[in-house]
Amino acid sequence: MNGIFSGAGLRRLRVMTHKELLQLFRDVALMVFFLYAFTGDIYIAASGVSMQLKNAAIATLDGDHSLASRELASRFQPPYFQAAGSAGTPRQAIRHLDDAEVMAVLDIPPRFGERLSRGEQVAVQLQVDTSNSVLGFLASSYGAQIVGRYGLEVAALREGLSSGGIAGPVIQADTRIWYNPNQNDAWFMGISEMLTVITLFAILLPAAAMVREKERGTIEQLMVTPLSAFQILFPKVIAMTLVILAGTAIALFGVLGPCFNLPMRGNLVLFFLITALYVFTTAGLGLLAATVARNLAQVGMLTVVILMPMLLLSGAWTPIEAMPEWMRILAWASPLHYFLDAAYGILLKGVGMALLWQPVLAMGLLGVVVFGAGMGRFGRQFG
Amino acid sequence: MNTPTSPAIRVEGFAKRYGKRLAADGLSLTVQQGEIYGLVGADGSGKSSLMKAVAGVLAFDAGTVEVFGTRVDSARSAERVKQRIGFLPQGLGLNLYPDLSIEENVDFFGRLRGVAAAELAERKRQLLEMTRLDAFRGRPMRQLSGGMKQKLGLVCTLIHEPDLVILDEPTTGVDPVSRRDFWAILGKLLEEKGITALVSTAYLDEADRFHRVSLFHEGKVMGEGTPAELVAQVPGTVALFRAEPQAEALLRLKAAFPQTEAMGPWLRVFAEGLDAAGARETVGNALTGILPTDWFAREPELEDVFVAMLRQRGAQLESAFSAGSHMPAGATDLAIEARGLTRIFGDFRAADAVSFTVPQGEIFGLLGANGAGKTTVIKMLTGILKPSSGEGRVAGADMRSAGRAIKERIGYMSQAFSLYHDLSVVENIRLYAGIYGLDERQARLRSDWVIGMAGLAGFENDAAGRLPMGLRQRLALGCALVHEPRVLFLDEPTSGVDPIGRRMFWDILFHLSRREGVAILVTTHYMSEAEHCDHLALMYAGRVVADASPEAMKAGIAAESGQLVELRVDHPVPAQAALRAAGFASATLHGRSVHLLSRDAATDLRRLPGLLAEAGITVHSADLRPLSMEDVFVHRITALEAADRRAS
Repeated sequence: MNGIFSGAGLRRLRVMTHKELLQLFRDVALMVFFLYAFTGDIYIAASGVSMQLKNAAIATLDGDHSLASRELASRFQPPYFQAAGSAGTPRQAIRHLDDAEVMAVLDIPPRFGERLSRGEQVAVQLQVDTSNSVLGFLASSYGAQIVGRYGLEVAALREGLSSGGIAGPVIQADTRIWYNPNQNDAWFMGISEMLTVITLFAILLPAAAMVREKERGTIEQLMVTPLSAFQILFPKVIAMTLVILAGTAIALFGVLGPCFNLPMRGNLVLFFLITALYVFTTAGLGLLAATVARNLAQVGMLTVVILMPMLLLSGAWTPIEAMPEWMRILAWASPLHYFLDAAYGILLKGVGMALLWQPVLAMGLLGVVVFGAGMGRFGRQFG
Repeated sequence: MNTPTSPAIRVEGFAKRYGKRLAADGLSLTVQQGEIYGLVGADGSGKSSLMKAVAGVLAFDAGTVEVFGTRVDSARSAERVKQRIGFLPQGLGLNLYPDLSIEENVDFFGRLRGVAAAELAERKRQLLEMTRLDAFRGRPMRQLSGGMKQKLGLVCTLIHEPDLVILDEPTTGVDPVSRRDFWAILGKLLEEKGITALVSTAYLDEADRFHRVSLFHEGKVMGEGTPAELVAQVPGTVALFRAEPQAEALLRLKAAFPQTEAMGPWLRVFAEGLDAAGARETVGNALTGILPTDWFAREPELEDVFVAMLRQRGAQLESAFSAGSHMPAGATDLAIEARGLTRIFGDFRAADAVSFTVPQGEIFGLLGANGAGKTTVIKMLTGILKPSSGEGRVAGADMRSAGRAIKERIGYMSQAFSLYHDLSVVENIRLYAGIYGLDERQARLRSDWVIGMAGLAGFENDAAGRLPMGLRQRLALGCALVHEPRVLFLDEPTSGVDPIGRRMFWDILFHLSRREGVAILVTTHYMSEAEHCDHLALMYAGRVVADASPEAMKAGIAAESGQLVELRVDHPVPAQAALRAAGFASATLHGRSVHLLSRDAATDLRRLPGLLAEAGITVHSADLRPLSMEDVFVHRITALEAADRRAS
């Protein structure tokens, strides 16, 4: 009798894993997709997608044409804003907004400079396109800051003080930016995309390998050999984990490191170990999906169905704390939620196991439950 | 307009290439109007390419294809004849819509072809009645049996009353009873409506269903003519006899007669160019001292002739199988013992008290239509499925408690030749060696053995998916044998393989059983495979309804219902009707012949030509034919089905 970890048992795991790797490397289309996802896709996400306000086009509707109005308008500068000419009439200004030629319109009323110099209260209007709520919010708050600062300077001058030299108690807000001092979006977006790609392949690869055996009828052949369900399923997970770790290494050391100077502050061995655990957990979901799917097309659809809520509930886009109560409960069941904590923690903050043991433990438990369920279903289906 | 005598199809120098592979290489043939013309050959021999080109759905590389005098060489010219053509592509029910009912499928194809509503209703009624599908009009297509799907496919192909139907392997994957039914319906429909048919089959024993036949092999036509003309092209005698020791006799005979086969305990020799007396003498000499017994001399069959033609063109029949080892000890023990095996799914008894035994060294055939319970029995015996009740032992292990032990001692090969197509020959073998726990040294030894046995030398590093069918099949067999199992399970092992490949395969099985004492259990619904078995069990509705040797089964039918008489006639369809009216319920159409069972053959052979002459039918010849396993199967199952209908 051969136990799982006796000589023949280990040999079985080894030949099966070898087989999975061979099959994977010979699937040219899949390998091309795989390499692209771990390089090109992550590069595009890191360099192109941004949640920062950058060069937002702003038009000025200047009803005053005074020194003061021009001064205010000129303060809307890159990197946040980019002047995009002036609008003649309010109607024109609205049209620019409607046509998405500009993102904001600064509306300065007539006699702006004059009233300012007399010390009267003056209002300016900033009209912002907030179709993208994040960017819209940023534009309006940066705009308010610029206008506020200008107002303060004008007031100080009137009081005969040099700008910034108000005598008296003032609160100075000093912001200290940690972990990503340049507030470089590429790091966040790049890591986030890498985790998404890892998740995608962790579901897709084992599911595809499994369903291909179903389609070809080779699974039937494996069932009449002395292989146990574990010996059939686990090698797929090992092989896919190895391949995904390799992809992750390419993404980190080939794209995020050299192109975006990602710091990688923590222990990388720990990062790869946790990634392996995460892939194992998620591969269980893929295998579970493969017991439901009858062909590769269905695997594709199921992958999307599993991936989307995992991403949304992970906290990659919205902090978990901002979600409604019931979603927060669901998020605890998403392995990506834990992985995200661990990945950002290690790569950007340099934290170690002392802080990460909870998410790692949760991920491990989830993995065992899901893989067990997959094996159970597989056993019932073919047993 | 074309005259009635102009050919329905004329193909000249047809060639089709898929990448590097030449699928059809200079094919030529002519099909006359009103003919049932057969394309007979293995998978990949070029049949489908030619049929698709004739149907106007495949662009080809060279040659001309004419249908009713119109050249089919572009999408536009194909459009002109498409309304006159009905095409049933290969694959059970693949052209039908699984979620639509029988009636909805027929309606869809009728409207697609622009058949007027009143006409459609009338044709539908007629066709469904003839195919006996009318009772199931509302049933979704996916719930139909294989035979019913093919009949529905035929109805949908005929609904616009085409002048030519093209049917690509309509009987592949269909059980013998449904196949006979299909041929009978097709023959009748074509005759009544004067339709021409181009039909392909992978089974040589179906060739006598056609008026004329082209034999396909690797993209070329090996021979053309009526089945009788083709058989006459390579004259000779088939000798069937016993000789002990059988394995030794086979070895001696092979030297003189390459076309020697073992059929269960019998030996079957095709003595090319010899008459019965000559064959007896030459076989006697070749046996050098072993005396043949139970001698029968017969006319050759199409397969004998086809194999001879291939040999003349240089095909090798020799398998590199080394017959070195001897019967191991304990070879006479029981390899499989099934006692009252029952498996119940819900309230369905998939297997019902199945009992049989297979000793080591025997080739045992488990026959039955789809759904008869063969797969359930195999699953229980291979340890995949637990029986609801009953018990059994396989390779000395109890199947109720030692599933794992059974799996280590058996080999299994499925119909799909479950290989990894993207792995090479050696990688496939090494994989299974590892799975069965062989160490490096054993794995290397067995890998060499498999490559030698299967004739795979030179193909070691080719991807399994790119091998020809015959080699792929032997590789699958090799993978199933890599751990030297004592019991081998083969689930419909030879589907789609050419005759040469099939012979080499059975040759290997024979050696395994006789020289190494391996017990082999084969399931099949192809009766030509059943003829190779030592012993057969016939399953019906989950039960074993007959359990005997092939010749005992044939003798049983002969005693019960009579001998097989073949009448070659000028008008087979009315002849069949006249014979049925005269009380021969077993009369069936076979191309230009009618087969029937006769209790008093001597009298009937004399009497029947006169009886048919009264109906205006000329009988060209009347002969006794040996019963085939297919005759046995159809006869038994039809009787059981009739009994079931009476009971319910």
